[in-house]
Order: sequence, then C-alpha cells, then structure tokens
Amino acid sequence: MKDKLFREILPRVSKPIRYTGNELNIIKKDWDKSRVKMVFAFPDVYEVGMSHIGGRILYGLINETTDHVLERCFAPWPDMEKIMREEGIPLYSLESYRPLTDFEVVGFSLQYELSATNILNMLDLAGIPVFSHQRTDEHPLILGGGPVAFNPEPFSDFFDLFMIGDGEEALPELLDEVERVRNLPRKEKLLRLAQMEGIYVPFLYKVTYNSDGCLSSMEPVHPDVPGRVRKRIVADLDTAYYPDKPILPYMTVVHDRAVLEVMRGCQRGCRFCHAGMVYRPVRERSLETLRRQARAQLGNTGYEEISLASLSTLDYTGVHPLVKGLVEEHGAQGVGVALPSLRVDAFSIDLANEVQKVRKTTLTLAPEAGTQRLRDVINKNVSEQQLFEAVEAAFKSGWLSIKLYFMIGLPTETEEDLDGILNLLQEVKRIGDQYSPRPVEVRASIACFVPKAHTPFQWQPQDSIEVLQQKINYMTRRRRKGIKLSFHDSRVSYLEGLIARGDRRLGQVIYKAWQNGAVFDGWSEYFHFEYWQKALAEAGIDPDFYVTRPRSYEELLPWDFIDSGISKAFLRHENEKALRGETTLDCRLEDCTGCGVCPSFEVEVDLRGEIAGAH
Amino acid sequence: MLVRIRAEYSIGPELRFLSNLDTMHMMERALRRAKIPFALTEGFNPHIRLSMGTVLPVGLWGKKEYFDLELAQAMPLDELRDKLNQVLPAGARIEQVRPIDDNAPSLMKAVNCAAYGFLIRMPEEDISNICQNILKSDSLPVRSRGKKKGVDKDLRRGIYKLDLQPSDECFCLMIWVGTGEPLNIRYDELLDLLQQQGVPSEAILDVFREGNYIRVNERLYSPLEG
Repeated sequence: MKDKLFREILPRVSKPIRYTGNELNIIKKDWDKSRVKMVFAFPDVYEVGMSHIGGRILYGLINETTDHVLERCFAPWPDMEKIMREEGIPLYSLESYRPLTDFEVVGFSLQYELSATNILNMLDLAGIPVFSHQRTDEHPLILGGGPVAFNPEPFSDFFDLFMIGDGEEALPELLDEVERVRNLPRKEKLLRLAQMEGIYVPFLYKVTYNSDGCLSSMEPVHPDVPGRVRKRIVADLDTAYYPDKPILPYMTVVHDRAVLEVMRGCQRGCRFCHAGMVYRPVRERSLETLRRQARAQLGNTGYEEISLASLSTLDYTGVHPLVKGLVEEHGAQGVGVALPSLRVDAFSIDLANEVQKVRKTTLTLAPEAGTQRLRDVINKNVSEQQLFEAVEAAFKSGWLSIKLYFMIGLPTETEEDLDGILNLLQEVKRIGDQYSPRPVEVRASIACFVPKAHTPFQWQPQDSIEVLQQKINYMTRRRRKGIKLSFHDSRVSYLEGLIARGDRRLGQVIYKAWQNGAVFDGWSEYFHFEYWQKALAEAGIDPDFYVTRPRSYEELLPWDFIDSGISKAFLRHENEKALRGETTLDCRLEDCTGCGVCPSFEVEVDLRGEIAGAH
Repeated sequence: MLVRIRAEYSIGPELRFLSNLDTMHMMERALRRAKIPFALTEGFNPHIRLSMGTVLPVGLWGKKEYFDLELAQAMPLDELRDKLNQVLPAGARIEQVRPIDDNAPSLMKAVNCAAYGFLIRMPEEDISNICQNILKSDSLPVRSRGKKKGVDKDLRRGIYKLDLQPSDECFCLMIWVGTGEPLNIRYDELLDLLQQQGVPSEAILDVFREGNYIRVNERLYSPLEG
C-alpha cells in the first residue's frame, strides 16, 4: 500500500507530505512487543493536528513511558479522501501505515464542536461503523477526549466511551485496563471500563425528557456505574510528563515552534470562558523544569521559536524571569520567544523589551468587550487605561502589528458596547500612529459569543443569526479607516452553539448532516449551512431550543452529570453577579471565591514562582 | 568575519514530497540541532544566512543539490558535514562541503544545467528509437509548464545529452538540459516530451534529478568548484 501511495496517489494530491509520516523524532515501536495498540485520531488536517499540544503530550507519554503504542492519524483533505475512496485505501496511521481497524483503541481529540462530521467521516473511511451500537468485538473501541468532551452528549451515539479531563494519568490507566478486559465481550468490556474514574460510557445511561423538551432524568442503568462522572486532574503538573522530543513536521504547521506549557488552569474567572472553568485549579510548572524542558526541546528540534502556552501566560508567577532567562540562553542562536494572546493588565514594558530583543511577532491582546461596563459583566478585569498603556509600550518598543480579540452577542450588550469596540480600536491606532516610527497595523478579530457548558453563562441565550448579522453590519458600516475588522461567520457560531449545549438527540442531526455531505465544517471553503438546515428538518429538531432559548436554573442540563469540580451554585451566583455588573476577583491574589474545585479534588492552587503583583 | 561555504546534499525517495520551503526549514533546524556556528541576518527578524540555491521540484528525489551558507566563525568542513549528518533525518544527507569565494556568483546565477533520470520500463528497441528520434529532431515543441502559460517551448536547443543505461529490468534514461537563463527546461516538460514521443505514462516508474551543473563551453563543472 505504501508503494502505491507514493507512486500513484500522493503525486496527485495537494501537500502530499501530510500523509507520509517519517518525520524526525517519530516513534515507531515494535508492534508485536507492544501491549495495547491505540491510534490518536485528530479530526482535522495534519497542519492543525500537529500543532495541538495535547497530542504531543499523549504521544510521548504512551510511547516513551509505557509498553503500549500510540500512533497518529489525521483527517485527509477532501482531494485525498476522494482518491482514497476510489482506490480503496483505508484510513491509516502514519507510523506504520496500518489501517485503523488494526488498532484496539481509536482516540479522537474533541477540540472543536464542529469537528463532529470529520469524526464520522474518518470512522467511515476507516471501515468502522459510525454508530456505537453497530460495532462488534472485531472493531476498535472508539474513545473521545479533550475539552468538548465536557459536554459529550451530542456525540454519544458515535463514541463507545469518553475520557474527561487531564490524560496524563488517565490514559495509561485506561490502556492498562483495556488490556485486562481484552477477552470480554464488548458490552462487558465497556461496563468494566465505566467503573474507572473519569470514564463515561454513554450506552450505560438512560435519558428521559419532559413534555417541554428539557431533560427529565439521566440515570445509570447498572449499579456499578457512577451517577456522575468526575473529571481527572493531574495534581502536580511540575512532575507530570512533558515531551522533550516532539515530532518535527516537515511541512509548515499552524504552530511551528517549541512549546512550553507553563501552567494549566486559570482562576481569573472570566464568565464566558469554558476552559477557564473546566481546567481549574491553576497548577504551575517550576522555572527550573521549564528551562530544562526548553533546552531539551530546542536541542532535539532546532526550532527557531519557543512559545509559552497556557490560558493566561502573563499570570504565570515566574513569567518575567522565565522570559528573561530564555532570551539570555537562546537568543544568540536567533531563537525567539513568542507570547500568545496577552492579558492586558499584566503586560509590562520589561517583558515587551525582553521579547523584542530577538524577534517580533504580532502582539495579541484580548479585551473581549468594548466598554468597562460590559467587561465587568463578563468579569474580564481590564481597564482602558491599562490597555492604552500596554499598547503605547508595545508601539514604542517597535511592535508594528497588533491584533485585538473581541466578542459580540455578550449578555446585556447594547449598541454602546459595539461603539465601544470601535472607539477602542480607533484610539489604539491613534496611539500607534503617534509613537511608532513606521506605519502600524491594527486588526480586530470579532467572534460571536457562544454560551458554553459548565460556565456561569450556560443559562444565557445566544444571539440569533439575524441579530448577530445586524450587529456585524452595524460595525462594518462604522468601521474606521486603517483598521481591519474580521468577523466569525454567525451561522458557524450558531451550529457551535447547537452542539456546545446540545443533548443526545443531536446525534441524528450530526449523522444526517454528514450524510448530506458536511465535512471540514470549520473551514469556510467547505462549510455548507444548508446541509445542517436540511439535517435539522429531517430530524425534526428545532435548533433554537438549544441555541437562543434562555434556560431556567431549575432545568436539568445535559452536562450536569459531568463533575468539573465547580459547583452549580457557584456558576449561578456568578451569573447573577454578571447581570448586576459585579466583578469577582482572582483567587490567587484575593480570597477564595468558593468555586468548589479545590476541596472537591483535595488540591490547592499550585504556584511555583513569586507572585507578579496585581496592578 | 563571515565564511562562505557551499554544500552538496542528497534527498532520498522517502523525502521526495518536501517543498523547497520544507527542505529549507529542515536544513535550518538541522543546523541549530548540530550547533553549527551559522551567521544570522541583522534586524528585527534575524534568520540564518542560508540560501537554497537549487530547488528540487516536489515529487522528485535528488542526488546532487546545493545550498550556500555563511558561517559566523570558521570550522573544519568535514566536521560540519558529519555533525549535520548526525542530526538530519534519514533520507537527507550532506555529501560534501567546500569553502566558496566571497565573490563567487550565487547558485541561482551559476547553475545552468541539470540532469534528470527517468526509470522506464519498455522494450529496449522502442526506448532506443525514441532517444535517437529526439537527438535527430530539429525542434521539439512542448507546451510550457512554467510561468508563461499557453506558449510552446522548443526543447531541442536545451537538450544537451541523452544516455540510456539498463537498470534491473528497466532502463534509466538520463537527460542533461539547460536550466535558468536563457532556456529553462523543466522535468515535467521532459515528461510531456517523452509521452509525445510514445512513452506511456505507466511506463515511467520513477523520476529523479541526478545532479546540477555549471556548463561552460560544453563542459560540465560541479557548483562546488565555484
């Protein structure tokens, strides 16, 4: 098959090296000596999947520290898929070119709601029945993980099991257990696996509905299965595994750099943020560990850029000495330090200057809302003065390009808030023109707010497509010269909202949308809203029930059975505070806010550097 | 004090789908892993002073490709070659490294000839006749595959030499052509020519670039000679 691929098939497709593997640092284990064989299937194309840190971690973790084997597979681009179907080439892993059906476990990383159709497509290309109930003992177990698995219900028709939370301890444990139950029939196998903490097996729960359409109950059908599934967390991140030798792709991928995960979790408490809620508590890595990891990664890859990744990197208590140290140690070889989207209030001139010594990347800031009032509602504690000070410092230090992230459709939003965005941008541009020796580029990326599960805003309605479109038109008409505005597609956001807070009944919608031809929905050139509209009509589902309907506190939500550690009472309290425009402070710097995660998991917020000092 | 060097390297069949940019990144990263004392450009976005002089088309593997590199400090070139080979992925190999004069023309300007190899499965008599026919023709018009679309290019002037050798159960046909200015002949134009001449596309089992040369007065020189 490999020969046929190289000779006849790959020369006909775009970017053939997506499909060849054989990269530097690839790990090819002895198949026969390996215990459980798992393939990590990322439901997007190679360039996107190879940028995903979680995949790097699990790949190294399983292959280097266990006797199991983990290989990789990505979604083939439509031109390659077409030829694969024509020529009868099944979806294969990049390490050993084996079809996915050779593996015992196929794990999909659920990073994005609309990767649903890609998942079905990949299963189909692999020759695996897309519905869980159709699979037999000869088919692999289909596993789902990642942030979207915190509301797994829309996907429950297609997955045999889900793993909720951090994978560093849970995945090796799961694979050990898979080996132990290997010879049991499928249903019994899954029943045993369901007893592991953090594992959710959909077919072992029964869901009933009220006449108004809301959930009435969700109960396990077997006494050994837990009523709630608690997420897994790694308590000590500093000693947790992290790869020193990540695979080095040949082709340009979205994030072409060494990555340090400086910390996991965020306690700022922005009320719209799903990740900020489900990845609590904050756990940092120590400076020594990070420096050592940086040295190892750069030595094993030769990357020219290293990035500090986390939900809020400037909150890392050791960020200043870390950046200084990295620049000192690696700057002379031309290696730059990249800072991802920054929190405006912790931005410091020092830090800017440290990074600019070596190379400039685009500076990104995320004010999210255009007025102080609305920022207080969403609990994004940033003042205009802080924003302008930060921007001024950046332009004076030589940055020429600034990108700002905003959202529209936030709760309590008015026209004034939209004007606020435009005014902010205009002022940023003015500051740039004043302080920068060269013309500056100010860009804004404006997303449509999608309320997410497990956040204080999970009860809020999402703006309809019409309303969002009106807001987009309003802002586009009033756009100032020299400022680029880019908006997310409101129809895509609508579908994201559907799945983000959906329930099991959406399985039929996803299936039908895929049958209608939906695939790569996150890519504008392949997105067809009509496929979904048709699917919704065929399934008899009213999407507004999920997306634009305000939910009541009494409602049983489809994801309530997943325990993220945060109490529902806390979320409700935060929602009420939001509507009053009251802020909640950072629990690292002030008192505990009572979210519940620390006592629930018997952990504490784990900080490893000096506190940076609140501004 | 910048030292200018030129390296000859090979790209094996397993890496044939790398683009020029991918190959350049691969070399840059290898240079960093091997801790070669390369020179960096000045300014806000410093990068390695590496110039990928010959561009191997996607889909082809090559035996003799070249790049130029500036070092910030001198080092024994054998050591440079060995260190790089230790860190390069299987399928990429530095064959030779030589110093090059500061005033030597760039690879893009100097290289004006390439040799392409085609692995063909056909009866000897048929492929032999085709070769003779090519050499006998006054003109060989082929649709241009380069930037000038829709125009025909006469390949005959740019074909310097043909050589047919048996290889396992096939034949290896080598064609030396002009590249760069004034006449640049591409490997896909040669494929079109072969098809025009009667070689079925299924008969062509492999295409590679045997080497890049500097052709002066009908003699071929290695770019390493500067």
